[in-house]
Amino acid sequence: MENWFLNIAHWLTSWLVSLGLAPVWADLILLVVQWTIIVGIITLNVLILIWLERKVAGFMQERLGPNRLGPFGIFQTIADTLKLLTKEDIIPSQTDRLIFKVAPMFFIIVAVMLYAVLPMGQDMAVVNLNVGLFYFISVGSLSTICILMAGWGSNNKWSLLGAMRSVAQMISYEIPLAFSLLGVVMITGSLNLSDIVQAQHNIWFILLQPVAFVTFFIAATAELNRGPFDMPEAEQELTAGAYTEYTGMRWALFFLAEYTNLVAVSALASTLFLGGWQGPFLPSWLWIILKTYLIMLVFMWLKWTFPRIRMDHLMSLSWKVLIPISLVNIVLTGAGIELFRWMGW
Amino acid sequence: MYGKGLLKGLGITFKHTFEKDITIQYPEEMPFLQDRFRGCLAFDFGKCIACGLCTKACPNNVLSFETAKEEGAKKKKLLSYTIDLQYCLFCNLCVEVCPTNTLYFTHNFELTKLNREEIKIIYHRPPELDLLSEEKKTDNPGVQVEPSDAAETEAKRIKQIEAMKMALGKNPLKALGKVVDGEEDIAILSALIATDEKKLSKIAELMVDDREKARKIAQAFVSKEKKDRQKEGGEQG
Repeated sequence: MENWFLNIAHWLTSWLVSLGLAPVWADLILLVVQWTIIVGIITLNVLILIWLERKVAGFMQERLGPNRLGPFGIFQTIADTLKLLTKEDIIPSQTDRLIFKVAPMFFIIVAVMLYAVLPMGQDMAVVNLNVGLFYFISVGSLSTICILMAGWGSNNKWSLLGAMRSVAQMISYEIPLAFSLLGVVMITGSLNLSDIVQAQHNIWFILLQPVAFVTFFIAATAELNRGPFDMPEAEQELTAGAYTEYTGMRWALFFLAEYTNLVAVSALASTLFLGGWQGPFLPSWLWIILKTYLIMLVFMWLKWTFPRIRMDHLMSLSWKVLIPISLVNIVLTGAGIELFRWMGW
Repeated sequence: MYGKGLLKGLGITFKHTFEKDITIQYPEEMPFLQDRFRGCLAFDFGKCIACGLCTKACPNNVLSFETAKEEGAKKKKLLSYTIDLQYCLFCNLCVEVCPTNTLYFTHNFELTKLNREEIKIIYHRPPELDLLSEEKKTDNPGVQVEPSDAAETEAKRIKQIEAMKMALGKNPLKALGKVVDGEEDIAILSALIATDEKKLSKIAELMVDDREKARKIAQAFVSKEKKDRQKEGGEQG
């Protein structure tokens, strides 16, 4: 069970080579297949996630959640997707058409790009990048630009306000996010995600870096534009923020990308702090799925518990609380590492 | 302070997640209604004494009724009663004021109608009410007439038959006088039914259902008995 996917990949490449293809081409085709599968998994996963989120929200509010279509309402999101697919694609007349059209596509592309470096199991990262973590953070912050494009292209005050909030929020929270990850990187001495997972063989980093985990979690919530930090969308103030003018499948792409980001960040959190794919009895790819879902459930729990906070509070939380804490965490981690080295461990 | 409240909030939502959901899936599951719930206003025709207090109490003129006074009768006769529910504000004033508890609220809250005309609830005088007064003239005790279905009428009939049997047993002269003529015949018939349970119940049943048929059957019984007695007398003689 452990090597199912690796065996399939080996079998596919050797079959392609046996057909007379150059190994480079075989690898390229394998890469295309991997990406197609990742996109397929993401889409399916989002269908499940939306259902799960609605169900969790329902249970927390002592409701039932969707329960009409299929057992426990699991086909509800499929029906919703079909509805979105068949809706009219409306582009308002005053928009910047090119930017308006391109923004959701860029957003989803950026979201899918995050999965390139995530180790989905033992030796199961699509690209085993040396600077994997750096790549993840830099690509992850690109999504701000897509939201800004959507907000600017819509030519609507709500959209622009939402986009501007999103940019401010992203820039502010990128700093504590990166700083909180620095502690992990300092202990491991590597930016390669697979190496970081290997380094947690004896002890998970959530135990060594609890403060970093909490700051990372808060900053990640803000980066994902999820409640209680969903200021860019804030339905009650900005209708739907940057997505106000979007309809049908273009809007659905934004939705898809947001949940894709959620899965990616949760997978990153489990990789960095919860030991990644490591775990007893079950195959490694199942372990990372379980841990990712656990983190996503916590994200949902936060979203459906806390009210949205005010924009200036949001900013001051980042600059006055999270950044100092993460800086202190870096200093203490460095001191601790030096201490252990001095003690000869 | 410093996240204590946040943790408390998380604890509350966590607790609620595993509690029983309070959703009632309405068309399949009916909500629990208290006894005092004010659903559709309903009217019990048999109890109404047409005093008109309800129409005076109603602030929106929801209630109206028609009466007729028969010649020589003391009381007004209620012909129809109308509840125009679209104006009703369910204030309970009519229900409170009614001296005979004729008006009451049901638990039916599904008041949607397809046509505007259907909103008005009109109660017409049920024919059983007029039957009741006739039955009273023929002094049949234990008769209760209500708007009823088949099972209820059947139960009522059995009751009436029982009452008739009692009357036949207690006072045969008066009761049988309606089906046979002459004291001699009555005496014969009463002797007959006193000894034969089947004949008693047959006559009682027919007297309740069909007076004419009862008369014929009773006379047939009497004439047959007379013949039998004559035979017996002939043999003896």
